[in-house]
Amino acid sequence: MSAIETRNLTKHFRDVAAIDDVSLDFAAGRVHGLLGRNGAGKTTLMKLLTGQIFATSGEMRVLGENPVENAEVLSKTCFIQESQKYPDGFRPLDVLRIAEGLYPAWDQGLARELVADFRLPEKRAIKKLSRGQLSAVGIIIGLASRAPLTFFDEPYLGLDAVARRLFFDRLLADFSEHPRTVILSTHHIDEVSNLLEHVVLLDEGRVAISAEAEELQSAAIEVSGRLDEVTAFIAGADVLRVQEIGALATATVHAEPGSADRARAAGLQVAPVSLQNYIVHRTTAAAAAPVT
Amino acid sequence: MRSRNVIDMHLVNRMQAFGWPLVAVTFAFVVILGVGLIVGSQGPEAQAGMYYGMQWNGAIFALLGPLIGYGFTSMGQYFPLALGLGLTRREFATGLSAVFLGNAVIYSVLITSGKTIEKATDGFGLHVRFFDVFYTGTGASWQTLVQTFLLIMAVLFLGAAITAAFLRFGQAFLWVAGAILALIGVGIFAGVLLLDGFGRNLLEVMTMGWGPWMVVIAAIGAASAGVWLLLVRRTQVA
Repeated sequence: MSAIETRNLTKHFRDVAAIDDVSLDFAAGRVHGLLGRNGAGKTTLMKLLTGQIFATSGEMRVLGENPVENAEVLSKTCFIQESQKYPDGFRPLDVLRIAEGLYPAWDQGLARELVADFRLPEKRAIKKLSRGQLSAVGIIIGLASRAPLTFFDEPYLGLDAVARRLFFDRLLADFSEHPRTVILSTHHIDEVSNLLEHVVLLDEGRVAISAEAEELQSAAIEVSGRLDEVTAFIAGADVLRVQEIGALATATVHAEPGSADRARAAGLQVAPVSLQNYIVHRTTAAAAAPVT
Repeated sequence: MRSRNVIDMHLVNRMQAFGWPLVAVTFAFVVILGVGLIVGSQGPEAQAGMYYGMQWNGAIFALLGPLIGYGFTSMGQYFPLALGLGLTRREFATGLSAVFLGNAVIYSVLITSGKTIEKATDGFGLHVRFFDVFYTGTGASWQTLVQTFLLIMAVLFLGAAITAAFLRFGQAFLWVAGAILALIGVGIFAGVLLLDGFGRNLLEVMTMGWGPWMVVIAAIGAASAGVWLLLVRRTQVA
C-alpha cells in the first residue's frame, strides 16, 4: 500500500519548474530517503505533499486522499522543515505544547526524554537558540508526534555528531516499536544509509532514481589500477566517473553480474561504492551529460 | 476542534497579546493625568479649554496602535507556524477570527468601562479625557462599545488582509497599493483645489452622523475580512 502517490506532479515558480512531471510511489511503513542537490526540488515536493503550496498541475494522494486543506490527512502528517519560523517570544516549551494538541498520537513521555537527551533549554526564547538546538526542536516534534507520515527535511542542520547519532538511534528505535512512513531528506547520505529502505533522487525537479536502498548500495563498483588496464576494463561499461593520476586510474562503473570478479581477474583492485558516492556520481554524471 | 490550537498559539506570548497594549495604555493614561494636573493648576478656564480640546487627543491610540500591528503579526508569524504544524487554512482562519473577536470584545469593554468611569468622575477629578474622545465616540457608553468594537475588528482584519496580500503578491502589492493611495490623495487634493463645492461636500461627508460612520467602519472591516478570507485560502508558505 502506498502512503504517497504522485502522478505527473508539477510545480512552477514563474518560469522555473521546481517539480517537473514527477510520478512517484512511497510505500507505507518504510523509511524513504529523498535525496538531491540543493535546489533539486526536495523541499518543494514535501511542501506540495503537506498542502503548504499548491501544485501547478498533476495529482497527488497522501494516505489515500488529496492533502490540500484536508484536516484528516494533515493531522496524520508531520512535516519538520529546517526553515520553520516561529513567532516572537515562543519557547520550545510553547511549541511542544501546541504540537501536543495537534497530533493525536503524541507521546509526551518520549518528548520529555528527547528534551533531556538533546539538552534542549526549553524555556529559552527560540530566537536565542543555536541552529542545532533549533533543529532539536523539530526532531523532538517529528519523533514524539508519532504521525503515521513524517517528513524530515534536513532535520539536523547544526547538530553535532553526537546529537546526529542520537537522532538516528532514536528514529530507528521508535520506528521499530511504532512503524510508520518516514520521508527523510538529507545531504548526510552515508550517515543515514543504513536507515533508508527506499531512495528517491531528485535532480532539477525530476526523478533521477527511485529504487531500493539495498539495490543502490551494490549498484556500482570502484576499480583502480594501471591506467591502460582500467581503460581496457571500462571499455563498453556504464562509466560513472574516471579519475586519472599519472599512470594510475580509478573508475566507478555500474556493477553488472560478475563484473567485480572480472575486474579482479584483470588485476584491478575492487572497492564498493557507498550510497553517498553513488548518488554524487549519478548527479554529477547527469549534470555532465550533453543536453539533447 | 483543531482551530482551538490557533487561539492557544496567540495566547503563548501574553505580553504581545495583552501585556504591551496594557503597558502602553497605562503609560499614556498617566501622561494624560499629568497633563490634567498641570493644566488644572492654571485655573478653571484653562481646565475647561483642556476638556474641550482633549476630545481630539489621540492618546487612546496607545491601545489601538498595537492592535493594528496584531493583525499583521497574526498572518506574518502565526500563519506559517500553523501550516507547518499541519493546520489547514480553513482551521487557521476560523481560529484567528475567534482571536480577533475576543480581542475586540475585551478591549472594547475595557475602553467602554474606562469611559464610563471617566464620565462618572468628571475626568478622574481632573477634567481630562482619555477614553471619552472622538475616536472612541463621545456619545453614550453603548455607542463607544459599538464604535470601539467595530474599529478594532476593522483594523485587525485590515492588518491580516494587508499581510495576506503581501504574502500572495509580494513586493508588487506594496508598490501598487502605495501608488493607488497616493493617487487617491492627489485626487482629493486636486478636487478641493479645482472643483467648486468638492471641499464643502467632502466636509459634509466627513462630518456625517455617528450612524453612517459606523456603517463605513463596519464596511471597511467586512471588506477587509472578505479579502483576507479570499486570499488566505490560496496563500502559500514560501
